[in-house]
Amino acid sequence: MSQRDEIPPGTLYMLILKTLARQGEMHGYEIANSIQQISEDVLQVEEGSLYPALQRMLVKGWVKAEWGTTAGNRRARYYHLTPLGRRQLALEVSKYERVAAAIARVLQPA
Amino acid sequence: MEGLNRLIRRLGMLLRREQFDRDLHDEMRLHLDLRQQEQIERGLSPEDARFAAQRRFGNPALLREISGDAWGWRGLEHLGQDLRYGARELLRTPGFTAVAVLALALGIGANTAIYSVVNAVLLRPLGYKDANRLVTILNDGTDPVAPANYIDWRDQSRSFEVMGAAEYWSPNLTDSDPSQSNPPEHLYGLQVTQNLLPMLGIDPALGRIFIPGEDRKGSEHEVVLSDRLWARRSNRDPNILGKMITLNGHGYTVIGIMPPEFKFPPFWATRAELWVPLALGDSLHDRDVNTLRVFARVKRDVTLGQARADIATITGRLEREYPGTNRDVVVTPLKENVVGKIETPLLMMLGAVGFILLIACANVAHMLLARISDRQKEIAVRTVLGAGRTRVISQFLTESLLLAALGALAGLLLALWGTKVLVKLSPAYIPRVETVAIDAHVLLFLLGVTLLTAIVFGLAPAMHATAGDLNGALKEGGRGESDSIRRNRLRSFLVASEFALAFMLLIGAGLMIRSFFALQSIDPGFNPHNVLSMIVSVSGTNEAEPGRRAMFYPELMQKVRALPGVRSAGGINHLPLAGDTWGLSFTIEGRPKPRPGESPEAVYRIIMPGYFETMRLPLLRGRTITSNDDARSPGVVIINERAAHEYWPGQDPIGERITFDDDKSNPPTWLTVIGVVKNAKQEDWVSKPYPEVYLAALQNPDFMGYGGSPIAPHMAYLTLVVRADGKATGIASAVKRAVWSFDRNLPISEVLTMDQVVADATAQPRFEMLLFALFGAVALVLAAVGIYGVMNYSVSRRTREIGIRISLGASRAAVLGMVARQGMTQALAGTAVGLASAVLLSQLMRKLLYGVRPTDPITFGGVAIVLGLTALVATSVPARKATRIEPMTALRNE
Repeated sequence: MSQRDEIPPGTLYMLILKTLARQGEMHGYEIANSIQQISEDVLQVEEGSLYPALQRMLVKGWVKAEWGTTAGNRRARYYHLTPLGRRQLALEVSKYERVAAAIARVLQPA
Repeated sequence: MEGLNRLIRRLGMLLRREQFDRDLHDEMRLHLDLRQQEQIERGLSPEDARFAAQRRFGNPALLREISGDAWGWRGLEHLGQDLRYGARELLRTPGFTAVAVLALALGIGANTAIYSVVNAVLLRPLGYKDANRLVTILNDGTDPVAPANYIDWRDQSRSFEVMGAAEYWSPNLTDSDPSQSNPPEHLYGLQVTQNLLPMLGIDPALGRIFIPGEDRKGSEHEVVLSDRLWARRSNRDPNILGKMITLNGHGYTVIGIMPPEFKFPPFWATRAELWVPLALGDSLHDRDVNTLRVFARVKRDVTLGQARADIATITGRLEREYPGTNRDVVVTPLKENVVGKIETPLLMMLGAVGFILLIACANVAHMLLARISDRQKEIAVRTVLGAGRTRVISQFLTESLLLAALGALAGLLLALWGTKVLVKLSPAYIPRVETVAIDAHVLLFLLGVTLLTAIVFGLAPAMHATAGDLNGALKEGGRGESDSIRRNRLRSFLVASEFALAFMLLIGAGLMIRSFFALQSIDPGFNPHNVLSMIVSVSGTNEAEPGRRAMFYPELMQKVRALPGVRSAGGINHLPLAGDTWGLSFTIEGRPKPRPGESPEAVYRIIMPGYFETMRLPLLRGRTITSNDDARSPGVVIINERAAHEYWPGQDPIGERITFDDDKSNPPTWLTVIGVVKNAKQEDWVSKPYPEVYLAALQNPDFMGYGGSPIAPHMAYLTLVVRADGKATGIASAVKRAVWSFDRNLPISEVLTMDQVVADATAQPRFEMLLFALFGAVALVLAAVGIYGVMNYSVSRRTREIGIRISLGASRAAVLGMVARQGMTQALAGTAVGLASAVLLSQLMRKLLYGVRPTDPITFGGVAIVLGLTALVATSVPARKATRIEPMTALRNE
């Protein structure tokens, strides 16, 4: 079994936003799976915590939700990005890159 | 914009709360199912797959709660819970709830009622444009001024946009539309300079107001009507503009109707309901006869101080030029003239009801304290189960708020009723009282007071409730002893405060009562009982014709005297205590000419024979005026005591001669002093009488119309005074019929008994005394209930202790003493603090008091005794209960 890591704090929003940006519309289970697959199972979302995060993003207006049906013909809530969410994603990514680059510089062998 | 969108989203969630929970549940359910499915596909048993899915997911209940929190309504949900819980608690103890709500309703209702009066009378701006820039310019701040002075001020001052003048005018309306059966009516109105109505900035509802030039002599026959008069006399005839009405026998064209809420002037002549132009004409150069009230609008960039300095410079110059004509001229903001007399009493009343509310709060606070002691275990359990201190406090505060809200609701009803009664009882002197209403301002005040109240009475008990010792509280029968000591201290403090507040209120009430009795015992100089008065005015009627009055007045007197039930009758131009008085300066024969402005002056009255006898105004020396003192006999005058002392000190004034004519009349009309009467009240009830002269009506050419000159408005009526054998009201209709037997068109107004006239003159202090006495009584009852409640509670809590004491041999007397001592100590401590505060606070009442000092020892002593007795009675009931405690029962029950 491969090593699994908790996602770094504060990046959950960014991961959800990015996932939605890439895939368009998804429900919660799909988002959780998608993050895991793309990260090649390294990043593990504590699955339940997706939902409070999605609610906070709904309040902030970054995502919108609509009810639809799954392939298995079950009712599911599908989330998609809003223009505001797209802007937020750009913001989060650039912030993350700044921080990551800084950390990388610190870690570079002298 | 985004903030608004977010709020809309949040509100949407709030409205679909249940849907929200269901959606979240479904969504998580789907997730778990799909994960389980996946695990099964990987080969786990369904059961294991479910566990795995749940492990990976976390606690759905917690997650749902956190998800809900994202929307930020958690506080509201708690509030909802607290409200439901609080309502249940209050319903569980209906007795407590009823008493607390009643106390709060009294406090909040009284505050709301008084505040609504303060709001309408003091706070709301006067109903004119930029009313804060309107001022009056008057002698001594309230008295009229002479026309020539007005003209000079108007022309020489630089601080005012506009300056106008008004004169009181009460004409007879004799015809109006003949198709309507309107009786002739004596009306109240104003003559105003053309610029006065425009200055107020209020547009007429119909037609127009005066335009420049319309106050010139000869073109002043136009009239603007109040809405009330228009409604009363012509039933709001929309075609009234351009029609003529007859005032004092002259035709006036109606040019405008003012809107219903328009009132002018707001002080003095407040009954005015029509306005005509004031043509100064002949009086333009008159500096001696003070007839005008001057109003002005201060320029926008000029301060009141600058305006005052401006007028002071001008009047100083005029006073040097015409000595004695421009002294004590004061510029006063119009509003100050309107509310000046009522401001202090109203604010004192607001303070008094504030005290009542505080007492009510103290009462409810210690009732809550007692409840909290009983709920100690519940609080401990809740704390153990994880409720934070703030959560418990907020629960108690919610309960307090609920109580306060109930109190406020009941208080609002009380206030609605109370303001109605207040307005009905309030004497006419309170300006704008008819506009008192529970409006948005008052509701805002009510809301503020309610919140504040809830915090004042709820916070301390709530803090105490949560400061306790958990272990002690949870133990069976245990009570944190240190706790109860602290709580007892708070309770004692509350009782003591109630007594301190009640003491101050009762001092206020006591001083007002003492002051009122001092006023009641003032001797008006005459005997008002069984005397009827009414004004018969002749303007515009046949009796106004030259020569007619000289016949009509004596015949009328004879006819009235002959009526059954009439003991005597007389007449006077202007009744004492019925409004303005006129002062005139005179010359005493054989004395050096006084310096200008320093001539003897006296209040001037004209009487028909029989006046003194009817009023029972005692003649001290000389003789009275009889029907023989007529046009053919030498002129006579009667003076009052004060005039005799002032102008003939140590001399006998009888036989001396005076004249009211100035140097220009040659020869002057000399009047011989034939008698001295006792001082009678003049303009108001409290002032010391000025020198006063009584002239014989039958000898007065202006009053009788001997000269054939046109009738002057202030000479156009006679006030009848009639003494009845029995009640004065019994003869009213007979006297009226007697007047109308001469001419059905004679307007009769102001039909009042002299007792009513006197009562009106003391209406303000009576009203204030009644309110203060009521407040004092409420305070006393609340304080008594408070100390009774606390002592009763204390005894019931100490049942076991007292039982032990008795079983150990304490006598019943000792127990009685112990309990009573505890109660009385609190009451006396409060009384001592109240006494000290009352000594300071009562100084504020100085302006309201008459004939009693703010530190009146009788009042202070009396109040101390009353409060002490109240405390004793309220304590003795629980104390007696304590002595009846059976030691065995007490111990077993615990």
